[in-house]
Amino acid sequence: MNNSQIPVARKQGLVVQEMPEEVLIYDLDTNKAHCLNKTAALVWKSCDGNNSVADITKSLENGFGSRVEEDLVWLAIEQLNAKDLLTENVARRIKGQTRREVIKKIGFASVIALPIVASLAAPSSVMATASCACTSPGSCVAQTSCPNPNNCNTVAGQCIP
Amino acid sequence: MNIKKKAPCLERRYRFKFDSYGVKIAVGSNSGEFLQKIKDHLPSIFPNCFVLHSRLKPKHDFLITVNNDRLYELYKDGELMTSGDSEENMFKFFCSRLRLTVAEFAVSRVFLHAGVVGWKGKAIVFPAQSFQGKSTLVAELIKRGALYLSDEYAVLDENGLVHPFPKTLSLREMVDKYEQTEYSATSLGGKTSSAPLPVGMVLITQFEPGAKWEPEILSEGRAILEIVPHTIPIRHDPEFSLRVLNKIVNRAIIAKSKRSEAKGFIDLLFELYETNVK
Repeated sequence: MNNSQIPVARKQGLVVQEMPEEVLIYDLDTNKAHCLNKTAALVWKSCDGNNSVADITKSLENGFGSRVEEDLVWLAIEQLNAKDLLTENVARRIKGQTRREVIKKIGFASVIALPIVASLAAPSSVMATASCACTSPGSCVAQTSCPNPNNCNTVAGQCIP
Repeated sequence: MNIKKKAPCLERRYRFKFDSYGVKIAVGSNSGEFLQKIKDHLPSIFPNCFVLHSRLKPKHDFLITVNNDRLYELYKDGELMTSGDSEENMFKFFCSRLRLTVAEFAVSRVFLHAGVVGWKGKAIVFPAQSFQGKSTLVAELIKRGALYLSDEYAVLDENGLVHPFPKTLSLREMVDKYEQTEYSATSLGGKTSSAPLPVGMVLITQFEPGAKWEPEILSEGRAILEIVPHTIPIRHDPEFSLRVLNKIVNRAIIAKSKRSEAKGFIDLLFELYETNVK
């Protein structure tokens, strides 16, 4: 078996919060938060560098007590790859099918939830985004979440739409 | 390469130092008058929580200079942050920056950019950025008997309790859409909470004219994901921030929905609270 089919979960530079049904991961390098649903979390935790995709599939079958398609594990791995939550990219296994086709196929066949990794970036600059106070148009520019980056209302001292 | 302008050496420099939530700050200026104005406003910038201290070693150093053309320049740790010719705007901007500095670096506290009220012994928290109607919503809730905690920050301790940060409410709509006027909770017929409260509900909501109220109860993971963008110290101390957020989502109901005008919305909010918060 090709080593690239043994995915390894990244551990460095992450803050991990375990929850009963999910795992929340904060990436210190990118300042992004990722929420892994139960299926994605189980796959991520199983990526220990020893388990092949087939092993992970079996482990999921044991965990959920029902048959699991290997494509479902690949679907999770693809997302974990894309979010930089594996140590290195794993070669794409689902060939000749679009992601939508795979989801449709697995969705009908599987009784367990499809893996989902939802992500959100922390504010690019907390100092900038948490307030829209300004003294000049220049001070609005850096405040990306404000209604308008160029319009400082000097009477109100706020960046306004 | 962007080289920031450095703070000038001043012939005359006035200075004071203070500590708020464990954050040690020095503020200096060549204008004694401007500096005194800031000092006089500290109680409203940091309600109930600052101590003037002449001997502390500051970690954050602010300097405001005023030149002969009445141009104001604000420096943080020796580098220019912004400049402008309006004293009032510079004052507002600086107050906001002072608060943010404390909010980001507070010791053993996590500041969320949020409105907070107390209702039946628990806190309702509305994380939102500016211009999302936080203060208007908080004001309407106060008029309906909710206790006031804050219209700007939810100050969470390590046990997940939310502490009052009762600055005056900054309401825009009463005068002009963009100009804020300050109101005390008392002037709106309300009371301020004097004690920290456990969080009963976090509502992720955004005002949209005519929006349909369709609250979705979020899972714990999704709830944290929604709150992270409003968590001021998330970059400075992600580990502590997430630990505290985890405590909140563990015990509280986290709901998300768009909302329409505040007045009609309050009844729907109370209904959601009664149904879900035990």
